[in-house]
Amino acid sequence: MRLKFWPYFFRQALININNNRIVHFISLGTMVVSILIFSIFLLMFVNINMWIEGWGHSLSMSVYLQDGIEKEDHEKIAFHIRSLQGAEIKHFISKKQAFKDLKDALGPEAGFLKILSKNPLPASFEVVFKNVGGLRSDSQKIKKELENIDGVEEVQYSEEWLKRFEGLMNMIRIVGVIVGGLLFIGILFIIINTIKLTIYSRKEEIEILKLVGATDWFVRIPFLLEGVIQGISSGILAIISLFSVYLFLSTKKMHFLGLGVLEFVFIPCDYTLSIFLISIGLGLGGSFIAVRRFFEI
Amino acid sequence: MTGPSGAGKTTLLRLIFGTEKPTGGHILIDSINLNRVRRPKLDLLRRRVGFIFQDFKLLSSKTVFENVSLALEVTGARSNFIRKKTHQTLRLVGLEEKEKAYPLSLSGGEQQRVAIARAIVKDPSILLADEPTGNLDPGLTEDIMILFRSIHMKGTTVIIATHSQNLLRNTAQRTILLKRGRIAGER
Repeated sequence: MRLKFWPYFFRQALININNNRIVHFISLGTMVVSILIFSIFLLMFVNINMWIEGWGHSLSMSVYLQDGIEKEDHEKIAFHIRSLQGAEIKHFISKKQAFKDLKDALGPEAGFLKILSKNPLPASFEVVFKNVGGLRSDSQKIKKELENIDGVEEVQYSEEWLKRFEGLMNMIRIVGVIVGGLLFIGILFIIINTIKLTIYSRKEEIEILKLVGATDWFVRIPFLLEGVIQGISSGILAIISLFSVYLFLSTKKMHFLGLGVLEFVFIPCDYTLSIFLISIGLGLGGSFIAVRRFFEI
Repeated sequence: MTGPSGAGKTTLLRLIFGTEKPTGGHILIDSINLNRVRRPKLDLLRRRVGFIFQDFKLLSSKTVFENVSLALEVTGARSNFIRKKTHQTLRLVGLEEKEKAYPLSLSGGEQQRVAIARAIVKDPSILLADEPTGNLDPGLTEDIMILFRSIHMKGTTVIIATHSQNLLRNTAQRTILLKRGRIAGER
């Protein structure tokens, strides 16, 4: 298309938007709401994924010590544990403390503990490993390393819990992709049909342009520019609305699956850019598909 | 070209304009066979053919000036030329005072003259007119026929489909009578 036509195309696109502002406003609103629904889903998906991953990355283990070892040995064991990658000792529970905790836990039933001649409970370290990744093979490796330390009697962690966690992660990812995909397809149809209706209301204009000898591209380009302008506007408005939703949610104390207060993050920059580009693509593609059907004149 | 309603006058004009495809036979314009012409070439061909529609086909969202200049805009003509030529043509059809008006604020006769102006502004090789004087009073009809004659004198082929016996009586040009899609008489 010749360069001299472009000022005409831009002028025409802006005039058309102004002349059909109600239809454009309705179409823009539909696009913003549709893209916002998808973006909120993305925001929730990113956050839930992050929470669960963060949850799984912290592996907690109880390291039970042999009876009768000295206090200096405790220090040596603690030093060993700290030298392992990502390890952090949360608590040291002495034999005495362990017995007291058991007594407190039993409450009124604790009376039978009096028949014990000595404290049978071992001292232990509660150790948390950050960024383990939740893989069972990693957990077993760590367990073995801990058991090899002199003075360590036994190491315990919940393998069942890790198994479930991995299952949960996979399920959330699959469900996320399916729901997100369906939502995206639904939104695609809504937007394309909304643009089709916008263009349908100007069927006569296309017909007349064709009758005075306009080429297909001459008719199409102003409509495509309108689609791009609409895409840019709806993308920006949807991202601003999404950020408002994020600001609102981040002020709330969020709980998920019984975990403590969770940190809420905004979607990454590349996701934001993708939403913006998808909006432009939808505006452009929708206009292209919609205007095509009126060319058989 | 004349004939009763349903004789095929409008269909013949549409066939020549390429908005309808013939089920048999061929239509040749400047040796170009319309049956075989591709869409981009048909668009370019239409720039050389002016069509005055019975229902005017004016854009209600555009002014009289914009409706007429549209036929030149699509050709990529320079804006100075478009402006000058559009003013000239509107003067020719007696609408220079109404160039900023919108079609819906005009009378039927005025709308018809806008349609005529749009068809002739690009100096077409062929001018097709479907009942071009249907909404005009006798005085204006005569003016428009003089206009068509002057366009014809410059070398444009003018084909007019009409019911008006008055128009036919006052013309010395070739007249074809159509009946049921066939030529039934000629003068």
